Amino acid sequence: MKRYAYYMSCINESMTKEVDRSIDFWQKDLGLEFVKLHEGTCCGGSNLDYVSPKHFALVNARNIALAEKMGLDLIVSCNTCLMTIRTAKKKLDETPALKKEVNDILKKEGLEYRGTSEVRHLLWVLVDDVGLDTIKAKVTVPLKNYRIAPFYGCHILRPSTVLGRDNPLAPSSLDQLIEALGGQTIPFEHKNRCCGFHTLLVAEEESLNVAAEALEEAINSKADFIVTPCPLCHTVLDGYQSKALKQAHIDSSIPVFHISEMVGLALGYTAKQLGIKRHIVC
Amino acid sequence: MKPFDIVIVGGGGAGLYAAMEAMKTNPALNIAVLSKVYPNRSHTSAAQGGANAALANKAKDDSVEMHIFDTIKGSDYLADQDAVDVLCSEAPKIIRELENIGTPWSRMEDNTIAQRPFGGAGRPRCCYCADKTGHTILQTLYEQCLKTGVLFFNEYFALNLSVHGSRSRGLIAMNMKTGKVEAFPAKTVIFATGGYAKMYWNRSSNAAGNTGDGQAIAYRAGIPMKDMEFVQFHPTGLRKSGLLVTEGARGEGGYLINKDGERFMARYAKEKMELGPRDLVSRSIETEILEGRGFDSPAGKYIHLDLRHLGADLIKSRLPQIREMSLNFEGVDPIEEPIPIRPTAHYSMGGIDTDNFGRTVMEGVYAAGECACVSVHGANRLGGNSLLDILVFGRIAGHTAAEEAGKFEPGSISEEELRESVEEIRTRMQPSGHYERYGALREELGQTLALNVGIFRESSLLHKGIQDIAELKERFKKVRVFDSSDVFNTNLQQVLELKNMLDLAETVAVGALAREESRGSHTRIDFPVRDDEKWHKHTLATLVDGKAIPGEKPVTMGRYELQERTY
Amino acid sequence: MTEIIDQHQEGKRDVTFRVFRFNPQVDSKPYFDDYTISAERGITVLRSLNYIKEHVDATLSFRAFCQAGICGSCGMRVNGISKLACTSQVWDELDKCREPGIIRVEPLRSLPMIKDLIVDMDPLVDKMTRYSNWIDSTMPLADMGKKEFLISEEEFQRYDKATDCILCASCVSECSILRANKEYVSPAVLLKSYRMNVDSRDGIHDLRLAELVKDHGVWDCTHCYRCQESCVKSIPIMEAIHAIREDALESRGPRDTSGAKHAEAFMEDIEKKGKLVEATLPIRTNGVVWTLRNLLPMAMKMIVKRRTPPPPPLVKSAKGIKVFRAMFREMTEHVKQDHLKSHKK
Repeated sequence: MKRYAYYMSCINESMTKEVDRSIDFWQKDLGLEFVKLHEGTCCGGSNLDYVSPKHFALVNARNIALAEKMGLDLIVSCNTCLMTIRTAKKKLDETPALKKEVNDILKKEGLEYRGTSEVRHLLWVLVDDVGLDTIKAKVTVPLKNYRIAPFYGCHILRPSTVLGRDNPLAPSSLDQLIEALGGQTIPFEHKNRCCGFHTLLVAEEESLNVAAEALEEAINSKADFIVTPCPLCHTVLDGYQSKALKQAHIDSSIPVFHISEMVGLALGYTAKQLGIKRHIVC
Repeated sequence: MKPFDIVIVGGGGAGLYAAMEAMKTNPALNIAVLSKVYPNRSHTSAAQGGANAALANKAKDDSVEMHIFDTIKGSDYLADQDAVDVLCSEAPKIIRELENIGTPWSRMEDNTIAQRPFGGAGRPRCCYCADKTGHTILQTLYEQCLKTGVLFFNEYFALNLSVHGSRSRGLIAMNMKTGKVEAFPAKTVIFATGGYAKMYWNRSSNAAGNTGDGQAIAYRAGIPMKDMEFVQFHPTGLRKSGLLVTEGARGEGGYLINKDGERFMARYAKEKMELGPRDLVSRSIETEILEGRGFDSPAGKYIHLDLRHLGADLIKSRLPQIREMSLNFEGVDPIEEPIPIRPTAHYSMGGIDTDNFGRTVMEGVYAAGECACVSVHGANRLGGNSLLDILVFGRIAGHTAAEEAGKFEPGSISEEELRESVEEIRTRMQPSGHYERYGALREELGQTLALNVGIFRESSLLHKGIQDIAELKERFKKVRVFDSSDVFNTNLQQVLELKNMLDLAETVAVGALAREESRGSHTRIDFPVRDDEKWHKHTLATLVDGKAIPGEKPVTMGRYELQERTY
Repeated sequence: MTEIIDQHQEGKRDVTFRVFRFNPQVDSKPYFDDYTISAERGITVLRSLNYIKEHVDATLSFRAFCQAGICGSCGMRVNGISKLACTSQVWDELDKCREPGIIRVEPLRSLPMIKDLIVDMDPLVDKMTRYSNWIDSTMPLADMGKKEFLISEEEFQRYDKATDCILCASCVSECSILRANKEYVSPAVLLKSYRMNVDSRDGIHDLRLAELVKDHGVWDCTHCYRCQESCVKSIPIMEAIHAIREDALESRGPRDTSGAKHAEAFMEDIEKKGKLVEATLPIRTNGVVWTLRNLLPMAMKMIVKRRTPPPPPLVKSAKGIKVFRAMFREMTEHVKQDHLKSHKK
């Protein structure tokens, strides 16, 4: 059994509960054990870093320190949380003065940020730790005959100086996972583009244009569904889909899955179990 | 179009400073800047090193006087001493003014503008911004021109001066976006179009557009060119592109190696080896190549700049830009392979003959920057003086034109004149039997110049060069423009640029043949020493009946007597 | 002694350039032309295009000037990525082709097409003007050219990297929001605005910032990092954008714009609960009226699917919130001290 500390993203506790629920179904099947960090706090969602750089460092040093206390790597299943926490880690590791200032405060809780735990995405655990061969061997309901558009989103790729796992221009980890599960990936121009989530409340029209472009390509390529490793991308591509397509005068729709659901389906769990029925577009 | 008070041709450092200063001198004036590229693309951006000014921030005992002497000595005593006075006295003011309006100069520990040593300068007086000095100066000037509301005509290609008797009535130019030939009637015109070293084509480090457009237009309008034979070569240009590999590579201990695997600088400069002065290293490399000890390739003969013995760590930490250049433009990683290099033409000392105020012999026509020859560089320009030149004299030309514009009647350009310019272009687009390709001519021009009017010059070579240029000019008449569209016809633009280069190439070769001595960048094998008695003077070239007619002009002397130039 | 390498024995590879063509005078819509040439190692995409223009098709139109990666003229999309043609090696690009041996060359996006690979740069210049992308010097006119400002190394470092920008417009072409709305300020102009705003010589910081926080300004950036990732000079553009936002929050307060309110909400929630209270985020960002008008229909669907975020009282605080809050507030004290110190300076 491989053990990890599991970071609980705010959105997965409110709007996209199906992500963590799906993982709970299959984690043991793949020899994984995710220990949930109930003490973890919001990472700042790629906003806190400029609202208050020091609070940003403190909050995420603490998130990582919680994992370090258990001697485990920190696993994240939201792109933006991943990028945000990794950005903080990079800053802390590169700035000894900041690290010291933060640790002086963390002492209160008996915590210390040392920089020993890695911060990684669920997708990377599946592809790199479990391995494609193991996954292939565990598949009971291969996603045969499904044409799948892989939508990586931004913050699992960029900035590459912070992420670094995939080539941001030609990412492949999600494609590999899809194929290991028996699915067929389609060439998807928008695979490394943006969903528009972070401006939804500030510049809605622009955000929805951004989302509509990706949806349109997937629809035109006759994909059966889109899959994304990020619940924020999912919220836009699924939750705001009808609004986005309406704005772009496109009369169609396409389901959007989380990777945790896709893995669940291939391992034999039902759509109902996994919570897929809770999507806006089914 | 409403007549302009000032039309500035060129949007580099000189043109933009001229525009800024003219607006300041008289904000009521109607001023336009025409540029064949967006101004921020201009070749000023390529100047890495810096600009000299005796601020005495670094060496407290530096003085304007020392800067003057270094410049005159560097020029091999061919610079006009009153012009050098102006250049060096204005320098501190110019650098501070740029600082005041936003140029991000590198700083010293006491927070003043940083200065570093540069070749030929007795004190560290070169002000810089890392290795992007020209780029940041150009950005600053462009920003300030946008702020002041300078009227820009971007991507306009200048064609002709409209001349009436002894004065100009304005400029005719082609709008690249529409292909339309447009009239710019103007009281005054300032040429600030940069240098002409691109005529050496892929044996030049210059931008593709440094084709001497302003000089060629002025020349065709009867304005004399001065000291055109002086072209500066840099020893280490990349083989394929001519782009510069900066001196840092040799400074850190790089070797120059010929095809026999020999560090040949031992034969030319036993002590200094690769670190000898630029002109000596250039001549040494050229000698190796001429005597058959260079490597051969489809892109021409070359030698190796070998950095491998310095090790990957040093190359990565100390010479990252050189490595990047080598990878980007030659596909060679200097950690694993030597860099193929050869000397490359990179600066033209000659240009439109002007006085210290930027005036040419034609009323209402001014010139500044590398386009002009005041002369402050004489036979050889010092590092750090080229940026200074464009700034100081760009500013002066702008100021002078603004003061003098009122003296002239507003010009007007007739429809007929415009039609003539259009006709000249149109004839090139007619398909007719045998034709020549401009690309081939352009390359041949570069080759003959590098070979016959290059680093080593000699009577028979120069005759050959002049003959080649004449033949190329003949063949040029048959060059055809294949792109018949009006919108952004770069095919046409490149053909017109070639015409400019051919016209000017003749003046370079003729000047080089006339000057029977060796001085500064001009090396005659048949006249290996400086001959002050016969040749301490400027050469002129004026177009009369389609031929370059040589002339001359005395050098203005001052406090400094002629001396031998040794370092 | 160095061993001898006979370098002219370099291999050659056949390469097809699939180039975007469009001449508004004759073409009703764009198309692609294929040019196959033999390219030796070391040849750049730009040199290949030059070769095609000189030897194959003189009508092929593109901009090129310095050919050395400094002037920014030859920005275009090579194999789908916006970059400079002059610094792109053909053999490297061959490894990135979607169809083997075929390099796609297209114009930059989000700028008006002129012809083939040439796009109109005027919109970018207009935006530089709109956002006062210049220093409005505080040096009195009478002292111009006579005195130097004294600039610390620390200040120089703040804008050193930003002044590397050559306005090649690769970031403009890659920007997600600009694709969605051409009015958007654009990354290059944000970078330049940042560079001006942190320069102590400048006197119009507040005016520039006031323009930046308006519609289509700094708050519209969606943090996709495409600008930064495609920057040919590796400038951390997103850091500059974040810095403008940080400055806007500090100089104009957290209630200034919807963008500011949205950002500030993260701070509030984390301090209070350690978790984001998503349910009220729209109201806190844009007010009740906007939220009802824009989100009500969707909220209904979400209620049906039980996807609505829980209302604030039901958002569970993170475990150990009390200690967390104390630490968070301690950091607030540190920040206050920092401000006092920097203002004293």
